[in-house]
Amino acid sequence: MEKSILIVEDEFLVALDLKEMLEADGWRVIGPAASVKSAIELLEGETPTVALLDVQLGKEMSTRVAETLQHLEIPFVFTSAYSSPHLAGHGALAKSPRMEKPIDEKRLLALLARLAGA
Amino acid sequence: MTIDDLYRILRADHIQAQGIVDTVEYPLVVLDAQLRVQAASRSFFETFRVDSFDTVGKPFYELGNGQWDIPELRRLLGEVIPRSTAVIDYRVDHDFPGLGPRTMLVTARVLQTPGNASSSLLLSLIDATRRIQRDMARDILSGELKHRINNLMAVTQAIARRTRVEGRTAAEYREDLLGRLQSLSEAHVLTFGEADEARLSTLVDRILAPYRDRHAIVIEHDGDPALGSDRLLTLGLVLHELATNAAKYGALSVPGGRVHLGWKVDRDTRVLRLDWSEAGGPPVGKPSAPGYGTELIQSAVAYSLGGRAEQRFTAGGLETELTFPLAPLPEPTP
Repeated sequence: MEKSILIVEDEFLVALDLKEMLEADGWRVIGPAASVKSAIELLEGETPTVALLDVQLGKEMSTRVAETLQHLEIPFVFTSAYSSPHLAGHGALAKSPRMEKPIDEKRLLALLARLAGA
Repeated sequence: MTIDDLYRILRADHIQAQGIVDTVEYPLVVLDAQLRVQAASRSFFETFRVDSFDTVGKPFYELGNGQWDIPELRRLLGEVIPRSTAVIDYRVDHDFPGLGPRTMLVTARVLQTPGNASSSLLLSLIDATRRIQRDMARDILSGELKHRINNLMAVTQAIARRTRVEGRTAAEYREDLLGRLQSLSEAHVLTFGEADEARLSTLVDRILAPYRDRHAIVIEHDGDPALGSDRLLTLGLVLHELATNAAKYGALSVPGGRVHLGWKVDRDTRVLRLDWSEAGGPPVGKPSAPGYGTELIQSAVAYSLGGRAEQRFTAGGLETELTFPLAPLPEPTP
C-alpha cells in the first residue's frame, strides 16, 4: 500500500527539507501547506495515511487542522519549536505525539512508520 | 537589619524606632492583639493613600473603607496571633478600592513584650504587582526566545542538508554553507534590532556589504517598506543567493560587470516589485537543472512571501524579478 503524508509547515526551508527527507524514505508527500487554509483544502482533495503538523503557522495556530485530521481519523505528529504543552491544543489533541524542533530525522521516520502501521 | 533588631529598637526607643521604620521601603504596620493599628510607617501611608489620623488606633480591617477586610487575610491573622507563628510572603490577590487589583505579599510576625502578657503583630505589606507582571513578561519573552532559537536551529539544519554536495569539494560546500548562514545571521540581527521592523534598504545594505567594495551594484528604490522577521529572513537568503551567484558566475565575477537593484512599492495594491539585473558579465545560459539557488529563490518567494519570482537568462546577464504583497496574506476564511 502506498503511504502518503501531508506536511503542514510554514517555514519554507524546513518544509522543503522535510519533503525531500520523507520522499527519500518512500513517502508520497502531499503539500507542503503553509497555512491552515491550504492544509484544509489539500485534505478536501485527498486523504493521507498520516500527517505532520506544525503547531504554529506564522501567527495562526494549527488547531483547526488538527481537529480536521482527528475527525478524518488520520494519525498525525505535532511539531513545535515551543516546549510548552498548552500550545498543543487540549483534550484528545494533546494525546498526539509531539516532536520538538529541530527535528531528529531518525526519530521522526521511526515515529511515522509506527503511526502508518497502526 | 532583621526584624529582631527592629523589635529590640522598637522596645528601646519609640522615637528612634519610628525614624528607622520610616526609612524602610516597604509598608510596615504594627497591630495590637485586637488588630488595632499601633504604628505605621511613612511608606504605609503613601502606598495606601491614608494619613495617620485615619489609621492609628483604628481596627486594621476598617482602614481605607475596609480595603484590608479580606477573608483570606482575616484567616491568616486569626491564626498567626494565637499560635505565635510567623507567616512569610503570603500572597494576597485583591482589588483594593482606590488602588485597583494588586498582589500583596504579607509577612506577619508576632512581637512578644517581656513582662507583659500582651503581644503585637508586625506586618509588612509588599506590593508585588509590578514584580509579578515583570516576571510574567520575562517568562513570555524567554519562551518566545526559545521558540525563535529552535526555529533557527531547524532552518540551519535545513540549509545544511539542502546545500549541494554533488560535485563539490568539502571546502566548497563549507563556503556555500557559511555564506548562507551569514545571510541568515544578518537578517536575524535586524529582527532583534531596536525597532520592531527593519527597512528593506537596511537589509539590502547588510546582505550586499561583502560585494559592494569591489563591484558596482547600483541601488535605486521608490518606497522603503518595513519588513517583519519572516520576510527579512526570506529576503535575506534570496538576496544572498542572487549576490553569491553573481559573484561566482555572473556580472560580479568579472571586472566591469554591473548589477542594478531596484524596487518599487505599488501604492494602491501594496505589492512590492524588486528587480535584479546583471550587465557586462560573461554570457550565461539557463542552467540545465535548477540549482539550489534558483530553486531556493522560486520556492522562498512563492511559499514564504506569497509572491512569485521570474528569472530570465539574457545575453547581458541574469534578470530576476520578484513580486510579492506587503500587506498581510489574506486571513483564512473560518
